[in-house]
Amino acid sequence: MVWARRFWLRLQSLFRRNRNERQLHDEIQFHLEQQIAENIAAGMNPQEAGYAAMRTFGNPTITKEQARDTWGWLWLEQIACDLRYAARTLRKSPGFASTAFLTLALGIGASTAVFTVVDSVLLKPLAFHESGRLVACWERVRFLGDDATGPNPRHADVWRQRATAFSGLTYSQYAAMGLTLGAEHPRLTSAVVTIPNLFDILEVHAYLGRTFVPEDGVPGHDNVAVLTYPLWQDLFHGDPSAVGATIRVGDVSRQVVGVLPANFHFPSASVLRSFRRADQSVSVAPDPAIFIPAALDIAKFPWNGNYGNWITLGRLNPGVTLAQASAQLNTIQAQILSDPAWPADRRPGALGAWVQPMQEAVVGDSRTALWLLMASVLGLMLIACLNLANAQLGRAMTRSRESAVRTALGAAKWRLIWSVLAENLLLAALGGAAGILLANAALNLFMRDTPVGLPRLSEIHLNLNELLFSILLTFGASLLSAFLPALRLLATDPQASLQQSSSRSFGSRHGNRLRRWLIGMQVAGCTALLLVTGLFSKSLLHLLGEERGFDTGQVAVAEVRLTPQSYGTDQNRVNFDDAVLSNLRAIPGVEAAAMVSAMPLGGESWIESVQRLDKPDLESPLINFRWVSPGYFETTRQRLVAGRFFEERDRNLSNVVLSEGEAKALWGNEDPIGGQVKIEGRIFTVIGVVADSRNTSLKTPPARMAYVHYKDRPPFPTYFVVRAPNVGGLVSAMRQAIWKYDPEVTIARVKTLGAQLTDSLATERFETLVLLSFGAAALLLAMLGIYGVLSYSVVTRKQEIGVRMALGATRAKVYALTFAEAGVPVFAGVIAGLAGSVLAGRAVRTMLYGTQAVDPPVILMVTGLFLLSAMAAAFLPARRAASVQPMEALRSE
Amino acid sequence: MLIVDNHSMAKPNDLVQGTLDLLILKTISLEPKHGWAIAKRIQQISGEVLQVQQGSLYPALHRLEQRAWIKAKWKETETGRQAKFYSLTAAGRAQLEKEAAHWSRLSEAIDLVVQTT
Repeated sequence: MVWARRFWLRLQSLFRRNRNERQLHDEIQFHLEQQIAENIAAGMNPQEAGYAAMRTFGNPTITKEQARDTWGWLWLEQIACDLRYAARTLRKSPGFASTAFLTLALGIGASTAVFTVVDSVLLKPLAFHESGRLVACWERVRFLGDDATGPNPRHADVWRQRATAFSGLTYSQYAAMGLTLGAEHPRLTSAVVTIPNLFDILEVHAYLGRTFVPEDGVPGHDNVAVLTYPLWQDLFHGDPSAVGATIRVGDVSRQVVGVLPANFHFPSASVLRSFRRADQSVSVAPDPAIFIPAALDIAKFPWNGNYGNWITLGRLNPGVTLAQASAQLNTIQAQILSDPAWPADRRPGALGAWVQPMQEAVVGDSRTALWLLMASVLGLMLIACLNLANAQLGRAMTRSRESAVRTALGAAKWRLIWSVLAENLLLAALGGAAGILLANAALNLFMRDTPVGLPRLSEIHLNLNELLFSILLTFGASLLSAFLPALRLLATDPQASLQQSSSRSFGSRHGNRLRRWLIGMQVAGCTALLLVTGLFSKSLLHLLGEERGFDTGQVAVAEVRLTPQSYGTDQNRVNFDDAVLSNLRAIPGVEAAAMVSAMPLGGESWIESVQRLDKPDLESPLINFRWVSPGYFETTRQRLVAGRFFEERDRNLSNVVLSEGEAKALWGNEDPIGGQVKIEGRIFTVIGVVADSRNTSLKTPPARMAYVHYKDRPPFPTYFVVRAPNVGGLVSAMRQAIWKYDPEVTIARVKTLGAQLTDSLATERFETLVLLSFGAAALLLAMLGIYGVLSYSVVTRKQEIGVRMALGATRAKVYALTFAEAGVPVFAGVIAGLAGSVLAGRAVRTMLYGTQAVDPPVILMVTGLFLLSAMAAAFLPARRAASVQPMEALRSE
Repeated sequence: MLIVDNHSMAKPNDLVQGTLDLLILKTISLEPKHGWAIAKRIQQISGEVLQVQQGSLYPALHRLEQRAWIKAKWKETETGRQAKFYSLTAAGRAQLEKEAAHWSRLSEAIDLVVQTT
């Protein structure tokens, strides 16, 4: 009770401070009046009575102060007072204040934004119940090079039946399908086709309606769909009657049976990749929007094949480790190998399995990149703090007389330190608040326009963790930048400071040395950051400048998704292709049009092994297959090396055009034209050899390719390439040309090859861009730091310089003197930074293309750039030093 | 023993703070009084022996108020002036008893020592 009342009184004394103050005054006034009245009654005259009353009372000001002290909060009053003082001081030096504010706002903003991404993508567990037990299961197949690949569904089904380590296993496939509601053209939607237990394993319940039940997996009962919350909002504007509505997905009418909750996030196809090969560029896929049950006749799948098309997710039973689960799956794989039904390589280990936490599978390769960004942004923040510390140190030195006077008058040291800290805290708090707003704005911008293949993008939000981080960072920054100035204050000897005349240097040899140390550290950090930036820039330039083997200018691609429902027969698809090609060629301005079965620079799509018929031992590794129409090579301007390309009059569909690399691998220096190869048991005749090209990915060496006539196996995903001088303006004409033949066909996208090239390097561009902006900021900060220290030093050494010039020093000598002062810390910093960047380069080696971790040209360029910048920063102070008039400097002595 | 107040810059013949608290609590135990009346009362009762530096009364009063041993109310005096009247709270009464008992034990002990030697 008493405690509660005391607490209440404390609060009152905090929030009713003015009223209490007034009442205290009244109370004491009343007391004095009473005493005066009594004194007058005792016979004194009024004036005497007043003095006597004051004498018996004592000093009312002290009394009031002591009474106020009992209310508590005196410390708060002092803090407020110091903060007000700090605010006034900062207002008086707007240049410093605004620079510091901007530096902090940008630094804290950038760090908070990057940390938000790191936290949301890497640190936060997936948003599923007990997500630690969720795993992804992969198969290792020897003839596929033992890379972890999405399992054959037949094998996955055996796992599902036999494995006891899991409370459930599911297998699913990503698909891109045309979605129609009503009579509009279909729009491409990313879908997940899954056996019905997916949501039981994820432990997700429907927001509206239901998720899947086992009957949904029975053929004939599978015409249902579950929508994600965003798609429901988009299609039905949040109308609950959507459940039960009919939509067309991939040319099949399906009933919507449920809507998933808003916080449901399922990884996209480009994140949870069912087929992984190192360095493949993958087109960034949007998050799945619709879920469709797979009604599979599992017996129709081959025992060996169909790898890399499905993903398997599972939930471990409580207490089961990853190793146990992996071991169990490997045991089952061995059983499959010894099964009489297994048609292929029976040697032990030909089939393996691997279990990985789902979170790890989702986060994947983005880990290194994100930590690199985090490290760079913290490095930048550190440089910013060092800069602030440096500027504060300079201010502390010019204010050393003030603090000496305050000390001499009896100010406690801690009050002086606190006043420095108060200034920094104020700056940091303002900068921090602005930084958080900035981070939020940056993230919104970043999430609205997301060309970057980052996983879990839709989960990136500023939340409590991030706020906490930025507040900690703010305090850390203010402490860091106040630490050295405070140390200076502690070391100040008031007597020495006061004895010095105001116009002379303040015995600041020590202080300047400290500031030069700071410069050195800044330079080191900046050099390291710039070097890493240089490596990434070179790598990106390398990717962009690499010989591609085909021409991306003036070419556009239209991607069309044909469905088995409407285009089930080969002839249907050939008719479609031919009609659309002739429509496209009819567009005014179009020079050439052709079709191909895979997106240029869109990664691998169909790989197969190839054997030379006469030398079956010469088996080439898996090579990429493309089905192309005549005119494809001409449209993309690929060079013919030998033989001929496909022609309109070709009737023989068992012809193949090989890439130069593949032809060399099989025939060496012999002539491959007319040679025969065996692919999937069929025999093809080589009619031509085309120059190597990087048409799967810019990041890998040119892929080995085999091109087959499109009529041999007309593809479902069809890519029309069109060459025209003004191709960017033909996008809608291309759409109309396709819809003219079939208005219900799904056009996934129409874009120029240039845009496709840009998109295929989106991640690299993004990384480089962010690093470049960090590097530029760091360089600017380092230049400011050098400039600040030198110009301060020139001001304090004015007399000395004057004396030197009077004694015959030339202007050149004075320039050299000033440059030399910055020279030592700059060179030491550059060397330390180089050493640091070697370590950093090692860490990011895997993210670089055509660039060494220690790359002499990059080192040379960055060092050169840095030294030039440092010279530029030192130039102004040096010129000021050189223009000192000896007479004037000496007279002011 | 007695609590020494850091803020009251005690001179040898000043009242030590703990004692002042006891005197204040005792003085207002019968009826609410304002500051001046408390000072007067202490002087009168002690036969002018205890000279309270009147100013030092107020920090003590505010401290006691913050500790919720006494509470204050603005009321009119007989002369029609507004004054702040202090009275004991329940907790204050308990505190008074505790301190009074403590004081009498202490003074008895000192008496004993003084008289026997």
